[in-house]
Amino acid sequence: MATMRFAYYPGCSARSTCAELNVATHRVVAKLGLDLLQLESATCTGARELRAIDPAGFYTLNVRILALAERYSLPLMTICNTCTLNLLDAHAAFVTDPDLAQTVNARLAEEDLKYSGRTRISHFLWVLHEDIGEARLRELVINPLTDLTVAAFYGCHITRPPLRYGFVDSRNNAALEKLAEILGCRPIDYSGRTECCGFHTAAHDEKVAIKLTGQHILSAKIGGAKAMVTPCPLCHTVLDGFQREIEKDLGQDLNMPILHLPQLVGLALGLSPEDLNIDRHMVPAGALAAYSVGTGGSINESR
Amino acid sequence: MNSFPAIVVSADAASRLGQIEHHDTLGLRNSRLALGDSVDVNIRRFDLDDGGIRYQQFKVPYRKSMRVLDALNWIAEHEATDLAFRWICGSKMCGSCALRMNGREVLACWEAVEPAMTIEPLRNLRVIRDLVVDRGVYEDKVARLEPWIERAVPYTGFPEPLTHKQMKDSSKALDCIGCMCCYSACPVIGLGDLTAFVGPAPLVQLAQTALDPRNDPQKVKRSLALTDIFNCVSCYKCEEVCPAAIPIVSRIIEPLKAKAAALLPDMAGHSLALRAIVAARGRVDPSALALRVQGLRALLNFSRIIRLLLRGKINPFKTFLLIKTAAAAPARRILNGKAWRR
Repeated sequence: MATMRFAYYPGCSARSTCAELNVATHRVVAKLGLDLLQLESATCTGARELRAIDPAGFYTLNVRILALAERYSLPLMTICNTCTLNLLDAHAAFVTDPDLAQTVNARLAEEDLKYSGRTRISHFLWVLHEDIGEARLRELVINPLTDLTVAAFYGCHITRPPLRYGFVDSRNNAALEKLAEILGCRPIDYSGRTECCGFHTAAHDEKVAIKLTGQHILSAKIGGAKAMVTPCPLCHTVLDGFQREIEKDLGQDLNMPILHLPQLVGLALGLSPEDLNIDRHMVPAGALAAYSVGTGGSINESR
Repeated sequence: MNSFPAIVVSADAASRLGQIEHHDTLGLRNSRLALGDSVDVNIRRFDLDDGGIRYQQFKVPYRKSMRVLDALNWIAEHEATDLAFRWICGSKMCGSCALRMNGREVLACWEAVEPAMTIEPLRNLRVIRDLVVDRGVYEDKVARLEPWIERAVPYTGFPEPLTHKQMKDSSKALDCIGCMCCYSACPVIGLGDLTAFVGPAPLVQLAQTALDPRNDPQKVKRSLALTDIFNCVSCYKCEEVCPAAIPIVSRIIEPLKAKAAALLPDMAGHSLALRAIVAARGRVDPSALALRVQGLRALLNFSRIIRLLLRGKINPFKTFLLIKTAAAAPARRILNGKAWRR
């Protein structure tokens, strides 16, 4: 199978607090036969803050990233929900507002960049479904994660707003559960699937994130999940990084391992928990090692 | 365990997974039911006088193009004459018939029935009886925000020098029918008194005049100070349920945040700090952001800092030595350069 090439935008989180996501992504795409070109000079997309208080700066930063990918004629792969929505929104504004397009390109001309609106933006989750495809994925799964009950946590910016993604009801998104099934897992239904983790107010005050996410982890636990998986490092930061504070707030232990999407895929593709940096999480995910190749997991039992 | 619907992904690689939902039309929703079928309706009943909550089941004969409101009216006429629910116009104008159907905020007059429906009142508001909620808290909030125009300069006479571009956001806000679907869907409002966030519906009402260029910035500042707007989590739940299709986050809350950042910079400390960090480093350094926003408070949670260090989640060298990346120069040029307005 021919190698597919993508320009790669990891975002800030996967290069700092969620560095393990970046490592796992590189290991997994190698197994999938994807070739990534990391855009070294790509900046932050502005999170939620810049897009609100400085739209001009927001559009320029994002269109610049799209222009960098376009220079190589490559589709752009993301691994963060908020970055994905920022880039999609900036692209949409660029192609529908000629004045904006002209002004942004004038700024980009200072470094010999120009965007013409051709870059396809795709989150890793969509790359798995659309570019790799179910049939190829099934071939690649050498370690089906049989009996792993997993709660898919979408977060917001990969399933809302409706005008961007087309869901009448964002709860109808089933991309993560479908993927989990392909990997051999048993996805569970629970109330938090497409709810908000509260990350975007956490830098100034963590209380909203702690309260909101506590409800989601608790409902996943009650639903029987042994782990949660998320396509967004910002959600991961709250689900995993704040879990100790959440437990304190709830007055009960949760001990819910939280996996980045590429980590779950990697386990099923036969990578070890160490390869995938699963030991770098705040909530130990060691119990999931039982599902990796050659450690007495379910794959051995089924042989 | 329930089973999740199979996803149909188009062979066109540029397709979005969500687009399967574009086929989720009223006609298709109606075609799930045929004449002769019955609709199972489960309604949350509540009466202040006896204080009891109970769910009551009804079977409603399906009629062609039946709406939730038609089912409620059938029940009120045939099975439960004491069922309390509000409606006036029946045509998506008055905003009085909002409720939750199967966990989602809808207008009863504009939503097709589903084969099995659980009908509940809006959340985050006191229930008076059955599906009727007390809108008083919303009306009080809107009144406190003083949603009117005070001119800084006297009226110059007709025609006023206004452009479509200047009015583009406030005109979206004027589409609001005050149905409170967004207020019910908002997770931060759902946390009660934890924050002072005023909620999406009052912000839309405020935006009708606060985003009007004729309004005195001092007046807008006074109103925005009461909103706690930076506790909006940007989850888009409000946008998802808005029957008037108002882009509440991107065309109402974000422009209001921009106004707050300009008029009340103390309120927007965290947004301004993030901007400064991106302008200096090209990317966000979460430790630098926490230190800048929370100050010494960020250092108080020793055990968490130790855990973060042990797992390699924070890197003090990067944070304090301000190590430059290849992204720093372009970010500095773009964000510190001459400002331009759309």
